[in-house]
Amino acid sequence: MTSLSVSHLTVKFGDREIISDLSLELAEGEIASLLGPSGCGKTTLLRAIAGLIQPNGGTIRFGSKLVGVSSVVLPPSKRGTGYVPQQGALFPHLSVAKNISFGLDRSQYSRNEISQITAEMISLIGMNGLEERMPYQISGGQQMRVALARALAIKPKLILLDEPFAALDASFRDELRTEVIGLLRSLGSTALLVTHDREEALVSSDRVILMRDGQVAQSGTPEEVYEAPNSAEIAASTGDVLTLPARKSTSGLIEYPLSASGSSVGDSQSGYVVIRPEEIRVSKDAGKGQEGLLRHIDYYGHDAMLTIDLTSSHTIIRARVAGPAEFSVGQTVYLEHLGPVRYFSLR
Amino acid sequence: MKTERRLSSFGLKALVAIVLVLILQPLLYLVIRASEKSSSQILSLLTREKTIEVLALTLSLLVIVVFVNVLLGTAIAAGLHYVKIPYPRLFLVATVLPLAIPSYVFTYTWIALFPSMQGLWAAAFILALSTMPYMILTVFTAFQKIDLALIEVGRSLGLSKVAIFFRIILPQVRRSISAGALLSGLYVLSDFGAVSLLNVETLTVSIQNLFKSSYDRGAASIIGILLFLAAAVFISFETRLKGRDFETRGNEGFQNSIRRIDRSALSLLTLSVLAGYIFCAVALPLYVLVSRFLANPTAVAVTDLVTAAASTVSVAALGAIVAFALSLPLAFLISQGKGRFTTFSEKSILISHALPGVVVGLALVSFGSRLGGLYQSIYLLAFAYAVLFLAKSVASTSTSLALVSPQLKEVAATLGKSRSKIATEVVFPIALPSMSLGVLLVFLTAMKELPATLMLRPTGMDTLATQIWSAASISRFNEAAPYALILVAIAAIPTFILTLPRTTSKEVRENEIEKKVRFL
Repeated sequence: MTSLSVSHLTVKFGDREIISDLSLELAEGEIASLLGPSGCGKTTLLRAIAGLIQPNGGTIRFGSKLVGVSSVVLPPSKRGTGYVPQQGALFPHLSVAKNISFGLDRSQYSRNEISQITAEMISLIGMNGLEERMPYQISGGQQMRVALARALAIKPKLILLDEPFAALDASFRDELRTEVIGLLRSLGSTALLVTHDREEALVSSDRVILMRDGQVAQSGTPEEVYEAPNSAEIAASTGDVLTLPARKSTSGLIEYPLSASGSSVGDSQSGYVVIRPEEIRVSKDAGKGQEGLLRHIDYYGHDAMLTIDLTSSHTIIRARVAGPAEFSVGQTVYLEHLGPVRYFSLR
Repeated sequence: MKTERRLSSFGLKALVAIVLVLILQPLLYLVIRASEKSSSQILSLLTREKTIEVLALTLSLLVIVVFVNVLLGTAIAAGLHYVKIPYPRLFLVATVLPLAIPSYVFTYTWIALFPSMQGLWAAAFILALSTMPYMILTVFTAFQKIDLALIEVGRSLGLSKVAIFFRIILPQVRRSISAGALLSGLYVLSDFGAVSLLNVETLTVSIQNLFKSSYDRGAASIIGILLFLAAAVFISFETRLKGRDFETRGNEGFQNSIRRIDRSALSLLTLSVLAGYIFCAVALPLYVLVSRFLANPTAVAVTDLVTAAASTVSVAALGAIVAFALSLPLAFLISQGKGRFTTFSEKSILISHALPGVVVGLALVSFGSRLGGLYQSIYLLAFAYAVLFLAKSVASTSTSLALVSPQLKEVAATLGKSRSKIATEVVFPIALPSMSLGVLLVFLTAMKELPATLMLRPTGMDTLATQIWSAASISRFNEAAPYALILVAIAAIPTFILTLPRTTSKEVRENEIEKKVRFL
């Protein structure tokens, strides 16, 4: 069942079109992330879905219910979306418990129900005993959890998270992210996560929606968008890439600096191939692919990036290897491209 | 939602427009009164020797005081911040304390010691003493905000300490010096008590004389407009002078690592300037007040003291509340973001900065008969206070509302809260403490107000300020002392609050003092 459906949405700020004719759907229980560079309109999209800004065209539906068209708009207070803004934005004048119960209206819930839901949420986020703390008395990660609990308490049909982990320390971010996403999954929540961190998008969602200039550039499972990007630019936004000039013959044969054939492909059109650095195998044994000179090693600990100058074409290749110990700068190495050949013709 | 937002913002704009019309009333009255004169009468009044003399005297006073303030005030602030002295915090509090002493109290304590004191230079001396804290506080705060890394960069580029001060530090505090000059200059233009006691006929005194002695309200109104224009020109001049705005990146966490210059000669110089200033502006006046009081503790009946204090408190409180109420619509409008109407309204409110108490008093008095029951009531006086201090009130209310980030309001909206609930459950609870501080500061400023109070108070009502003035103006210093002591004691409270480092978040604290200075 569809939980969220956005179709032909357009949002303008003055004359500038931030979102142009954008459509997307989210199934119930699906966790999707909106990934894109800053200024691509991902936060604007999130805010339009929450009802915080007014779209200029298109429709937004929650299930079968129409919540937003350009003329009639359901106010944010009536949408029942859980919104978790950057850095949590806890109410500074309210305790942890009061923050969590903020959205539970007295007209809908009895006093007992409110305290029961609050207690459930507190234990869900593992903050028992900290109910009466004020926001400034808890850590950034705890604030984030309270913000999530506050959004979950109203049992939202949809949770919107706007770069919730961006302000946290790197070492701590992954841990909290795993925890939060795990929690959302166990509750079966439908969630839309805005992020500019490509790893975060890949690791935490069922679907990655790549945004460019106010439009969906590609949408699919993390594997799909990583393995089969529909442009070099998209490929670069989900991971490191190597873009090499290529030629494609009428018979479909593709020639590029690392291609096995090495032979010329006669009648052809020109384009380029997009390769992931980890799809290249580097070895010291002669004959195993194209010869090159190892120019530089960037050591990252868990892996290393090698910069290699191909002898035949003097093309610079960057390849990722697991252990750097066996290589040294100045060495002659042999390269083989193992992965898929993603060919794009020049337009 | 679109229609709802439009409607509510329309309502807010309508409210702001009503407030603007209200506060522009005094100015309108003046213009109407002035226009009752023929143009040849106006011309001859403006070009007569007396008027030119008064205007020249007023401007000379303005120039001298602002000049002294810019030089000495900046130097004192620099000394407080950059030179190694014992108890710097204590010295800061002491240099700000004169803000608690109204200029007419200053003047009378000095006259009590030196009865022959009078004239332009005496007035310049007194007004420089009493306005110096504006300059010291604004510039001191600006020094604190300078990024220390910039000074280190200067040092690494081989600049001498003097060069660093003139090429790196001073350009960054220029705007603050200019703001301090504006505050002290407007004070000089609107001051009535000090110049009156020292027999210096400035524009304010001239207005009061025309009004009181000859009952020529048309002539007084013309001079009133002249004074308003002088203040308006001064404000726009300051806006030009302060130059381009730029962002100063505060220094995070390095506040204490400032290396004060440790040279005994410089420390000694700083200390002696500070001691001299504090002696003249705090110790001496307080000594006179206390000794005069002790000389004859029963000069004033306790009931008179209590009555005056009570009426001062009630009318000032009423004024502060009216000012706060009037400031709310515009403050809300400002908190919703900029627009052409908002900017226009903010600028118009600044006009109330340029309306000296004498002018507002005159305008309301000269239309008194048409105001029916309001005339000679404390409500009219409270309204005058509200007009006079509206700019301060708007500044404090809007900075308080700015404490509530838009994100919090959005979160509350997604959690099902209506606009009115967001206001009552989120905006007011967060902004209220800071708002009440603003109301308190306006209240205490209103307590010290003299000229409008003199003109508008109901017959038979005396406030602390009017009692001090009437006793001091006929040299009954012993009688003025108890009233003055009470007034100074109460006014010292917000002055002290002003220098307290507050325990709010760092970002808020950074702007705290600067913000508070704007109230004064």
